[in-house]
Amino acid sequence: MRITLVASLLAVGWAGPIVAAATDPAPTSAPADPERQKLEAQIARELGTGATAPAAEPAPTASGHGGSASWARLLVLPDISAVGTFTAAQDGYDVARLSPREGPLGPAGKPTFLFQELELGLQAVIDPYFRADAFIAFTPRGASVEEAYLTALALPAGLQLKAGLFYAPFGRLNTLHPHSWDFTDAPLARGRLLATENLSGPGLDLLWLTPLPWFAELQLAAQTTDPYDGGEGRLTGTVKLQQFVSLSEALSLGVGLSAARRDEGAGAWRDLGDLDLFLKYRPVSGRAYLTLQGELYARKFRGHAPAAVPLAAAFQGDGAGGAGGYLQVLWRRDTWFACGARYDRAPAAGESPRGTEQRWALVGHWYMSEFSRLALQVAYDQRPGGASGWESILYLEFVMGAHGAHPF
Amino acid sequence: MPLRSSTLLLAALLAAPWPASAALRVVTTTEGLAALAREVGGDRVAVISLSRGVQDPHFVDANPILAVKLRDADLLVDVGLELEIGWLPPLVNQSRNAAIQPGGPSRLTAAGSVQVLDVPTGTIDRSRGDLHPGGNPHFLTDPRRGAQVARAIAAKLAVLDPAGAAGYQARAAAFSARLDAALARWKVQLQPLAGRKLFVHHRTLTYFLDWTGLESAGEMEPRPGTPPPSSHLADLVALARKEGIKACVVENFYDSKADELVARLAGGTVVRIPGDVGGEAAASSYEAWLDLLVQRISAAVK
Repeated sequence: MRITLVASLLAVGWAGPIVAAATDPAPTSAPADPERQKLEAQIARELGTGATAPAAEPAPTASGHGGSASWARLLVLPDISAVGTFTAAQDGYDVARLSPREGPLGPAGKPTFLFQELELGLQAVIDPYFRADAFIAFTPRGASVEEAYLTALALPAGLQLKAGLFYAPFGRLNTLHPHSWDFTDAPLARGRLLATENLSGPGLDLLWLTPLPWFAELQLAAQTTDPYDGGEGRLTGTVKLQQFVSLSEALSLGVGLSAARRDEGAGAWRDLGDLDLFLKYRPVSGRAYLTLQGELYARKFRGHAPAAVPLAAAFQGDGAGGAGGYLQVLWRRDTWFACGARYDRAPAAGESPRGTEQRWALVGHWYMSEFSRLALQVAYDQRPGGASGWESILYLEFVMGAHGAHPF
Repeated sequence: MPLRSSTLLLAALLAAPWPASAALRVVTTTEGLAALAREVGGDRVAVISLSRGVQDPHFVDANPILAVKLRDADLLVDVGLELEIGWLPPLVNQSRNAAIQPGGPSRLTAAGSVQVLDVPTGTIDRSRGDLHPGGNPHFLTDPRRGAQVARAIAAKLAVLDPAGAAGYQARAAAFSARLDAALARWKVQLQPLAGRKLFVHHRTLTYFLDWTGLESAGEMEPRPGTPPPSSHLADLVALARKEGIKACVVENFYDSKADELVARLAGGTVVRIPGDVGGEAAASSYEAWLDLLVQRISAAVK
């Protein structure tokens, strides 16, 4: 305590009177005083929290003077952010063999710690005509560019153009980065019917915000995609109509309809469809809200059978038609806590018998601040033939750097 | 759905948000800025705020429906200083309105027209909480700064609508004069209370304290955006008992549990205030909102 006090005094003295004026008028603590300890214990009891030590003072900088946002702006640096995600998985069955999918998985019955991803984001308006966004993912498999694209800002008639590498405008979940999801993994149908990870690729995306008095946006994209890594990149066309309307000041409804066609070679096509629904109830004051979100996916192969489905892709269920989807609710109780439930179903894959696989998941979130989050997800998986198993994931996330927007 | 309900819903969806008679369509991020824009714009402008006075302006939803309002805006007035960082940038990008991009000809960031306080110095990292690196954005609690922002809006409107320039300047001058008169009245009321201390929930009243002469003895949030630890609240209670601090001032969009606890243990009172114009029915204009703040806070610290 004395060291902290001396350090604080030195810091104030070093930084001069301007710093002193901006320093918190923090009251002094006297933790050794029994009356004071009693008071703190009473407050902790009534707040339902444990007794806590006084918050640490910010660490002094080596130079004694930090930068400021305005100085950083002078350097014309882009907004730089990094999102790190780590998990601990405990699976009650051999998920990789019986329900193969991308995501935090461990061997049956053994708790496993996993580094999931560090996503580096670089975002800036680069000239009067374009802004650029780039997201680079570092995973145990190496580094890869998730998205890197330009967006034209000054087109007429409600048009916007994206060019580069980007997530296909298909459905709702596919357009979001995984750390923006409400659950710690993707629903089964996303992996079984769409792509191992997000469906993405280099190409062009033309967006038109219609002149209607509600939000109605039409997108047409042409990209080269490889849904299940290791195959051949092929041309994919996507069309999406996304609409949002206010049903009341507190209630918003979003409905999206997406369709994609991918050239599979030799006159064969892969057709994909998606219907997404998003309903959000948020009273105007407060942070609490309730969301209902769901998507239906469908896939059909036309013409000849796919020329060559890589073995790993076939293992995940690629190469056949089918349908699936998910429905989830999330309740954000306040600034700090949220919980949700999800039901999802999709064609079974891997070494499970053919048929429909279903999963029920519960998730709880603790937002320690705007920039760190802990989540626990427990799921029950039911495969064709009566086999079932439990999965659990503990998820930790941190955000560094530029304050990003909150996804709607 | 009954036919009548369907018709009403369809009518609501199709209703254009802007009156056809307005020369300029102004979108603001907060109700406080909207009130100032209405004061100086009069009938020549139609004004819409993206947030409500009962909302915490840090945490407005980036609802794409708001992008439609921005699409049609002739002027966007935002607070700045990263108050709207969590929701405004994606809406501006979705709007297709290039003129309201930061620095654009139809964008006015109000923070540029006032002297900013609470600019953090030293190490700026988030061990200090979710702070605003450019300074405190809650400057509209100061009528002097409110008048400066109103004049800046009038000047911007005059550039965008030269035919109405004289009217905008005249209304801004009249509004400033009215605020000056109110300021003189409030100062007489507050003068005997100079130096009295109070607690605030979040550092939202820096500018209010700056002109009233009242003093902050601390915040419930020792670091912005982090929950108050019990040790910190115990410190506040001990300080309140020692120095006779009676008021815990909290905006009505915050969870006031910590404020209530400190006030009860220290024998003080919780003073709930609207966070912005429109935060309560009585805070129907900028002047009425400030008057309400003065009345409630001065009554609590007496």
